Amino acid sequence: MAVCTVYTTQSLNSTCSISTPTKTHLGFNQKHVVFYSSNKKTSKRASSAVITCSADTQTVVIGLAADSGCGKSTFMRRLTSVFGGAAEPPRGGNPDSNTLISDTTTVICLDDYHSLDRTGRKEKGVTALDPRANDFDLMYDQVKAIKDGIAVEKPIYNHVTGLLDPPELIKPPKILVIEGLHPMYDQRVRDLLDFSIYLDISNEVKFAWKIQRDMAERGHSLESIKASIEARKPDFDAYIDPQKQYADAVIEVLPTQLIPDDNEGKVLRVRLIMKEGVKFFSPVYLFDEGSAISWIPCGRKLTCSYPGIKFSYGPDTYYGHEVSILEMDGQFDRLDELIYVESHLSNLSTKFYGEVTQQMLKHADFPGSNNGTGLFQTIVGLKIRDLFEQIIASRAKTPVQATKA
Amino acid sequence: MATIAGLNLSAPRVLAKATDTPKAQPLIKLNQQWRRSYHLGSGRMQTRPVRAAPEGISEKVEKSIKEAEEACSGDAASGECAAAWDEVEELSAAASHAKDKKKGSDPLEEYCKDNPETDECRTYED
Repeated sequence: MAVCTVYTTQSLNSTCSISTPTKTHLGFNQKHVVFYSSNKKTSKRASSAVITCSADTQTVVIGLAADSGCGKSTFMRRLTSVFGGAAEPPRGGNPDSNTLISDTTTVICLDDYHSLDRTGRKEKGVTALDPRANDFDLMYDQVKAIKDGIAVEKPIYNHVTGLLDPPELIKPPKILVIEGLHPMYDQRVRDLLDFSIYLDISNEVKFAWKIQRDMAERGHSLESIKASIEARKPDFDAYIDPQKQYADAVIEVLPTQLIPDDNEGKVLRVRLIMKEGVKFFSPVYLFDEGSAISWIPCGRKLTCSYPGIKFSYGPDTYYGHEVSILEMDGQFDRLDELIYVESHLSNLSTKFYGEVTQQMLKHADFPGSNNGTGLFQTIVGLKIRDLFEQIIASRAKTPVQATKA
Repeated sequence: MATIAGLNLSAPRVLAKATDTPKAQPLIKLNQQWRRSYHLGSGRMQTRPVRAAPEGISEKVEKSIKEAEEACSGDAASGECAAAWDEVEELSAAASHAKDKKKGSDPLEEYCKDNPETDECRTYED
């Protein structure tokens, strides 16, 4: 993976990653460090002075933050599907591993960096949402190492037993996704992210989703589901929610406004909040970039069933940042509705006409494939693929400058 | 719109599903999860069978709920109470993931996902 290139320039400081494994910051993992250089090429130029090893395929790191039970897994499946190839758990490893691996992408779950196991948290009266239950030093060291092209032995938090299992080897992929409760909490980790996403599920919808997930489970009742959400809320508000201000894209999921006083959570209003001025990321728009648009696609050309579909788009500010917001309220009932909508959105970063629709259909059995959650997750996946390709292209052009950034 | 013909709409399982509910339904249905199961107490809530989570996770969920209720009987704002309900959430999520894993493990389904064009994966409209 690491490609050694020869430069004639003088500013070579940050490009060589060979020195990193000797540093002590890898802690107990040090002896496991594997340096990746399977495909070493040394190209020589006549007047060259120094050889530097800058991984030209340096890992692109994506952060996905959301609370438990808010659709991270579904999003991951859509994302890895857009990148090509299904993501599977590591073969032959711990069956309770939280990691997913595809050709291009490795997804790791940040619960693996719990510093307190289930018993430890209980004894101390600390939730998993609390930073005190998580080892941000190790998280930073390992994500940094992977980004620098170094394999690490990452712990495994076993969600069934609540214990920390023996670690697993994570090799540097092309794209590393870190998903969990705190990808943007620690500034050091945040600074390693090339792109970040926050799934912001409103309380009403969170409640409805958890009812759907848990009601069939023995012992659960409406009261227990409500009690769990409420007991976790202070820590959620203190440690998880504030991360959305740092996200490059936020997917907000709210109850519909198409049905007056709807509280069933069946129909959703979903907003895709896209930060402006993020390198390699240009927001999707509807009809006219930068204008404020309200659009009901249902009419003479397209018939929609109740309660219909409504889109809006426009510039806005979000935590002091310039953003563009695309909103979809309602749901798709038929294929032609989805195609019609796709054909009216611009800057989708698709490779061919209809790719969004194709992706949505491919995973029609995933939750949210008929509404804005599936649509926007798919779009964010396409934007990340585009971002990845742009980063790679820019590094190929000016490797020294690119690695500095 | 003519370019739609070039689309590769590989959704064999969706077609299969559509045949289950033939009347007035569109050919290809997008996800209908909410409709299927959200009507609490209406008697038609479960069109799919209730799947119990495998290997004892269900028992763990049940036990954790009892413990959380106990932990919160004294002080509902205590760290112990929050930690106990957090454990319920963690186990409920684990149970749900385990169910999803189990659900997706039909070998024919898996095969047809990758090879929708093969004979054994054909689906028929009537």
